[in-house]
Amino acid sequence: MQQRLLDGVKVFELGIAIASPNAGRLLAHHGADVYKVESPTSPDIVRLIGSSWLRDNEELAPVAPDSSPYVSEMNADKKSVGLDLKKPEARAVARRLLAECDVFLSNMGARALADLGLDYESVRELRSDIVYVQLPGFGSDEDAPYYPFVAWGPNQAPLVGIDDLTGHADHEPAGIATVAPPDYLSSLHAAFCVLTGLEERERTGEGVHVDIAQFETTVSLLLGPYVMDNALTGNVQSRIGNRSLWYAPEGVYPCAGEERWIAISATDDAAWEALLGLAPGSLGADERFATAEGRLANVEALDEAMAAWTVGYANTDLAARLQAVGVAAHIVATNEDILQDEHVMNSGFYQARPSSRFTRDVFCSYPIRLSETPGSWERAGPSTGEHTAEVLTEVAGLAADEVDGLVAEGTAFTMDRPDLRVDRPYEEWLHVLLPNDAVDSRDL
Amino acid sequence: MAQPLAGTKVVDLSGLAGAYATRMLAALGAEVTKIEPPNGSPLRRMAPFIDGAPEPESSLWWAYLAMGCRSVVVDLDDDGDRDRLAGLMAEADIVIDDHGPDVLDDLGIGYEQTSAGNPGVVWVAITPFGLTGPKRGWSSSNLVAWAASGVLYTTGFDDQPPVVPGGPAQMGLHATALNAAVGVMLGLRGRRLIGRGQLVDLSLAEACLAIAPETGVPVFLDDKVHRVRAGNRRTLSRPFGIYPCSDGYVSILVLMPRHWEAMAAWVHEVCDNEAIIDPVFADMTVRGETMELVDSWVEELTTSMTLLEFFTEGQRRGIPITPVNTVATLAVDPHLEAVGFWSETELPAGGSARIPGPPFRTSADWCHLERAPRLGEHSA
Repeated sequence: MQQRLLDGVKVFELGIAIASPNAGRLLAHHGADVYKVESPTSPDIVRLIGSSWLRDNEELAPVAPDSSPYVSEMNADKKSVGLDLKKPEARAVARRLLAECDVFLSNMGARALADLGLDYESVRELRSDIVYVQLPGFGSDEDAPYYPFVAWGPNQAPLVGIDDLTGHADHEPAGIATVAPPDYLSSLHAAFCVLTGLEERERTGEGVHVDIAQFETTVSLLLGPYVMDNALTGNVQSRIGNRSLWYAPEGVYPCAGEERWIAISATDDAAWEALLGLAPGSLGADERFATAEGRLANVEALDEAMAAWTVGYANTDLAARLQAVGVAAHIVATNEDILQDEHVMNSGFYQARPSSRFTRDVFCSYPIRLSETPGSWERAGPSTGEHTAEVLTEVAGLAADEVDGLVAEGTAFTMDRPDLRVDRPYEEWLHVLLPNDAVDSRDL
Repeated sequence: MAQPLAGTKVVDLSGLAGAYATRMLAALGAEVTKIEPPNGSPLRRMAPFIDGAPEPESSLWWAYLAMGCRSVVVDLDDDGDRDRLAGLMAEADIVIDDHGPDVLDDLGIGYEQTSAGNPGVVWVAITPFGLTGPKRGWSSSNLVAWAASGVLYTTGFDDQPPVVPGGPAQMGLHATALNAAVGVMLGLRGRRLIGRGQLVDLSLAEACLAIAPETGVPVFLDDKVHRVRAGNRRTLSRPFGIYPCSDGYVSILVLMPRHWEAMAAWVHEVCDNEAIIDPVFADMTVRGETMELVDSWVEELTTSMTLLEFFTEGQRRGIPITPVNTVATLAVDPHLEAVGFWSETELPAGGSARIPGPPFRTSADWCHLERAPRLGEHSA
């Protein structure tokens, strides 16, 4: 395999769910050795979720912690090191590993990290030039009012104002019930800070402590103009459905069939003219819609007229017609639609790689595609403790019998029942997911 | 000590899909030159505007996102202007462009032409659907990118059309810009290691698709459950989702047994409710099956308090509760105030306004931002 950008960089990660793991996985994609330090006694939530199809199968119980799709989605190409950090002996081993690492990455609460002796000051004593990036929900300033508060992923979007901005005007906030965008947005900030910190270390020889408080980070990223407007005028921007503040029409409109929708954005006059070339004459003849200002001022009527038009079409057909004349449009895609979408399926965005539990496992890649030094994927997400012995002997410098002793006393953990392997029930989909996969990746 | 990106030259030909990236690069010390058409960047025409400020210096989007940047006016249809731009690109370490596939190439100032004379350039091409594939020529917007991601379909109430997450914040475009910033840092590292720059291919579509994993294709393939939009509370158990209080809404997330115990004890205490502490409700599945009853009990408590009261008392009791903040409640949030989050910027046409502080805090001195530039302020 060709050289990757972060080959040789070692990352110690204490990650939960998404915010830190999605950053660590990006580093692994570009070649870093990312050690996911975890314990079955206080597991990452992705180890608790499991897969629906093996939930009540006692025979497969040892597989359950490794079976959630999130394990690969957030941890592909990482190495799992099983250590029960509640035990002082495990913390001593963790310190030996940390002394060999370039990067510390964690989204555990700041207080929990300090309790483990893994706050920045302590870690810096082990490795003076550590690039230490932490993502506590409310920051690591112990004097701050919300410092002891509990912050969970699905609670972050409401906290930072994004749920209030989601939903139709004059209705209660719809919120974002299925994904936690602030986690992903924080993870990208973390990846940016790790990369910057590593370049700075190259230049100055010094490490850095970066504190990414999701609360502050997401407000800084998303709300600047509305914060300023509120401060200057008292105006409070809230949800406006799918409409735009800046042009019309922009919306989600019904199409032929049950729950079939199309999103359309006619972002300027040229797009509007192009749209009129496909729409019924009445839309173009309506004086109210003749100017950009008129369309915004009469947006209710415009949206009704748009919906009356779009409902006669199949959404895929209308989206293609609109795009052919330069109007931004797309079906409101379901997962089933995405699996039929040649553009996505041929793009390599979904990857399948060998896994120690499954013949192979499927996960997302990243949107950042580099022409000269692309990232690559070798393995799906690790099983709990899969790499404990390898990492503790080869990186932390323990003797093999030391590791055996730690495992025997329950301080370290290795993969449970490595001989137990299963297949996910999606083999029939693999030809769709891997249209260009000439080699059966079972043979990898 | 010099900032991390001091001496790094960035030429920015992007709109909103790249704006947060160049703002962050400028904050870290890069010299960012925004290339604006004679009538100004599209950001300058985005409301909200500053009352009384003259066009094109009145947009708060520009005032916030162009902070720390320089402004040079270039008419891409003018030969002399294009040559001047080519000159800036020949000296650039980084170019960020969101004109779409082929547009700058057709003008003779694309990646291939630029890198021929400037092989070190790291060029981020932000496009709607990527530089390859059947949809490479398609157009997009924040809404369209979310529609393609699968997330929009699952957001909203089932008696209303599906709805885009965080619409007015244009979150999909900011997510794209964040990926651009990461791509820049990867590119700069690559240049140090291999001695040349490269092309970074980044699409709005994939930036949003990358936020879909919790409801996305791999999860769907595992459970084969068709995702539907189910409003602002989850069906898994209750209370889980958005609940009304006396002056707004709060978000409650009770799954763990200890969180339910604390929640039930609280309702019991305040509302004199004996039924809720019946051990049968300790089972989260039972609470899911009796969601209307459980929700009505919880709402009796939530509606009797303000969001700040409910949030702070709930957290004191160890329950994961947050306010559903609005721009107005964030502005008076005691924590943000206490940690000194809020900052201030001058505005391009004079005056000043409060802004959010930097997105992260660093032990080394990384982030500084000056005000946004006036149109063509650095053209000469």
